[in-house]
Amino acid sequence: MASPIRILTAVPICDGHDSAINTINLEFIRHGIEVIYLGYHRSVGDIVRAAIQEDVRAIGISSYNGGHIEFFAEVVGLLRKRGANDIKVFGGGGGTITHEDALAMKRKGVDNIFFAGTSLAEMTDYVRKHYGGPRGKRSRPKSPGQELAHRLTAIEDAYARAKRSTSKVQRVMPNKKIRDSKFEIRNSSKARVIGFTGPGGAGKTTLIDELVLRFLNQNPKGRIAILSHDPSVIGEGALLGDRATMINSQNDRVFMRSMATRGQAGGLSPATQDCLTLLARSGFDYVIIETVGTGQEAMPFQKNGIVNQTVLVMNPDYGSRLQLQKIVMLDLADVVVVNKSDLQRARTAHTEIEQRLEQNRRNQQLIDTVAKRHRDPGVDELFGLISRSEL
Amino acid sequence: MSKLGQVVESIEKYNKFVLDQVKRARTDEKFGRELLGRWNDTKAKIPLSRTPTGLPLPRLALPEIDEPGEIARYLFADGLPGEFPFLNGAYREMYLEPIREVESFEKNGEPPQRPARPPLPQAEEPTRLFSGLMLAEDTNERFHYLTQHQRTHRLSTAFDGPTLYGIDSDADGVFGKIGEGGVAIDTVEDMVRLYDSFDLGSPNFSASMTISGPAPIIMAMYIAAAKRRFGPKVVPKLRGTIQADIFKEVQAQNETIFPIEASLRFLTDMVEFTTREMPRWYPISISGYHIGEAGSTPVQQAAYTLSNGFAYAEMFAARGIPVDQFGPRLSFFLDCGLDVEYIALARVSRRVWAIGMREVFGAGPRAQLFKLHTQTSGRSLIAAEFKNNLTRTAAELMLAYMNATNSCHSNSADEPFTTPSEEWIRLAAHGQAILLEESGIFKHTMNMLSGSPGMKAVERSVEAAILDEFREIERLGGVLAAVEDRYQRSQIQNAAHRYEEQIYNGTRPIIGLNRYRDGGEEIPEVKLTRTPRKKQQLQVDRLAKFKKKNAEKAKRALDKLADAAERGENCFPVLLEAAEVCSLGQISGRLQEVVGRFRPMV
Repeated sequence: MASPIRILTAVPICDGHDSAINTINLEFIRHGIEVIYLGYHRSVGDIVRAAIQEDVRAIGISSYNGGHIEFFAEVVGLLRKRGANDIKVFGGGGGTITHEDALAMKRKGVDNIFFAGTSLAEMTDYVRKHYGGPRGKRSRPKSPGQELAHRLTAIEDAYARAKRSTSKVQRVMPNKKIRDSKFEIRNSSKARVIGFTGPGGAGKTTLIDELVLRFLNQNPKGRIAILSHDPSVIGEGALLGDRATMINSQNDRVFMRSMATRGQAGGLSPATQDCLTLLARSGFDYVIIETVGTGQEAMPFQKNGIVNQTVLVMNPDYGSRLQLQKIVMLDLADVVVVNKSDLQRARTAHTEIEQRLEQNRRNQQLIDTVAKRHRDPGVDELFGLISRSEL
Repeated sequence: MSKLGQVVESIEKYNKFVLDQVKRARTDEKFGRELLGRWNDTKAKIPLSRTPTGLPLPRLALPEIDEPGEIARYLFADGLPGEFPFLNGAYREMYLEPIREVESFEKNGEPPQRPARPPLPQAEEPTRLFSGLMLAEDTNERFHYLTQHQRTHRLSTAFDGPTLYGIDSDADGVFGKIGEGGVAIDTVEDMVRLYDSFDLGSPNFSASMTISGPAPIIMAMYIAAAKRRFGPKVVPKLRGTIQADIFKEVQAQNETIFPIEASLRFLTDMVEFTTREMPRWYPISISGYHIGEAGSTPVQQAAYTLSNGFAYAEMFAARGIPVDQFGPRLSFFLDCGLDVEYIALARVSRRVWAIGMREVFGAGPRAQLFKLHTQTSGRSLIAAEFKNNLTRTAAELMLAYMNATNSCHSNSADEPFTTPSEEWIRLAAHGQAILLEESGIFKHTMNMLSGSPGMKAVERSVEAAILDEFREIERLGGVLAAVEDRYQRSQIQNAAHRYEEQIYNGTRPIIGLNRYRDGGEEIPEVKLTRTPRKKQQLQVDRLAKFKKKNAEKAKRALDKLADAAERGENCFPVLLEAAEVCSLGQISGRLQEVVGRFRPMV
């Protein structure tokens, strides 16, 4: 059996109507679909880039602000231009898309338009029926990013097959030398791999996005990869929503892949290790890996030799001082960040964590940040720390 | 405790004060007599109106009570229309016809006397239809069409997507969105075209602009356009409203372009300027409409709108703007749907606002008024058997007037599928005229339908629920903290899901959709208003010309603007200069470099 269906959903640029798509996303994941949600007010370029990197089966666009004929056509056109004809496009817009519009859109390559009154069940059935079958033979990728995306899919699929058949994983990629790559995805050890973990709601995604901004500004030619994780829900769907809040990582120099944990505890996916290995030697300056929000006992990167540096992102509201003793990652992280340090409790948190780290005698760094703040000096400091360790 | 916590206390205290007055009126004989005297005096002075059939009716209806305790309860808890705490109306006479014959109610039957006409409180003109389509000149034409029979010109402007997001029409991937769902505005020149041949400085003209994220920039362009046409002296005469409601954008509508705190700062910069230089302008319209449309319950809508309002008041006061200067320049905008809460939602909101402003902010009478624009619910309209939407809108209008809204927009029945067409706009506008002018429901007697036992029950229940919401927001650290915590967003989304579920399982009947559905899918064939490509290209070409012409000046203006933003001073005066030579996208882009971009909440 194959992996869960992966689709990308988004709302077009200059459109903030996200109420319908939020409802539909939830319905999809309840029915075992993995949804990478890109958010509202997203450009054609952002949507197509994300769809190719995530290697989804289809893109669902919810448009309520007009201009849909052009917008959908541009998405289809750009997909074709980038050699991603196998990624299909569907969508809806309540009463704003007429039947006549829909015909025009279909002529331009859109698979289907759902009209007002379509039930959620109909939409889910449609997606499962049309995008749930096995993939055909993949055409030759047109870009390194696309090739990488295909390979990551192959890794994830292999683990999914193994899980269903309880057989051993046929590891597709990382142990083999890549010989046939058209784009020289080489055995490069150049990438620095940085792991981000911490409890849910601590602001990991925002922090990473702010670091990416600094990286892009400082290295006009640098490239960065992000491997982001979100939990699978029961029924095996997942809402992979990190991209929706990232404003700086929608960039051609950023390769991002969202993974669902697919039943594995500890904040990562069964395929993570192999995917990370592949990313680490694919010519990026940095590879950032973000776990799902973790609990006290989690130590996602402990046995993973690939991660060069681990950052634990904490929220000042972790509870009593005693709670700190139980957080395993506090012993293991190279850097501990107290994010949201504008909150009242942040000073206390800093002091308590500082004491806790001193007991370890490992020269761990402690930094206070307010990641949501533009040009936050704490984030600058963290960025400096990460870039310096490169030496 | 934030100001919102104090507001909760002030209302609890006021409600207790009312009970004390009731008790006192019953025990303190002198006080009781005083109240009774005042009551009888008020009643004696109520003028008469006559219906077309000659039936005399009082211009103000009051409950038939003569017991001092009940009189105290009415006067203190509800207030006469136009009196604190304004439950029955912000003004004394609202929609009443002008007086033709003045008679004393008590002297009914005697020959009519003709004393001097008493001054009438000026109620707002109740038609203000939201419109905006294609390019500025097309919207201008629509404005002229809409105002052809009106003695005052009150325009309400809808902007297209790129404008709402502070983006230029030449930006990547927005071509198809130009002029869709609203008018495309990139530069001061577009703004000049938009209101062409309207007299912007006239007391009979007002412009309303529905835009929030880039509101200060659009405001600056409006001022610049007015100055181009009428010279600098027109500025203090400008009348109108700009929405500029950042909180509701973050809570519900998602049209925010700067981070919240930066957005609030630019807003306060603008408010500081307009309260000083443009005393007739409403620089913010605190809006529950979009919260309601995004799926909130009526109580959430009122609670978030009011608490947002109090948070703005706190911010403006902290900037040093006197409450009696900014208070009268705040206006509100609520949704009116078919749920029973709407029988009294705006009434209760008016009362909560007045008490909070007086007791917590020390506002004088003019700054206590909750001036309300209502729009009927767009969400309640559906595509299936869409002519039913006329009935829905009519019922909502009725509710809006029962709440004594100051002005109203009635939705066109074809809105579920398109920018409204002229036929349906006309029907929507005439719905208002039929209720207010043709029918006798609202034109003869104030309080015609106020104060029924059912309405009182809704009022009590709604007020208690609003206060509960306030307490929760206060517990989260106040409005800004709750917003950053996504509290309101999650509540609204949750309510929206519940609403959809109820439609789906039939517990919320929607006629023609989940009840009495007539056979198959009815797809109405309505002529759609779409912006032709040629026009979209014209907008892009005009912008290119403007940018080329002003390239040098724009660079200097943007540098100056960035400097002011960097230094943290009031940016609005510099923004006014920039609006002369820069496009919307140039300005918002440059400001984003300084303060960052808004990070979406999901």
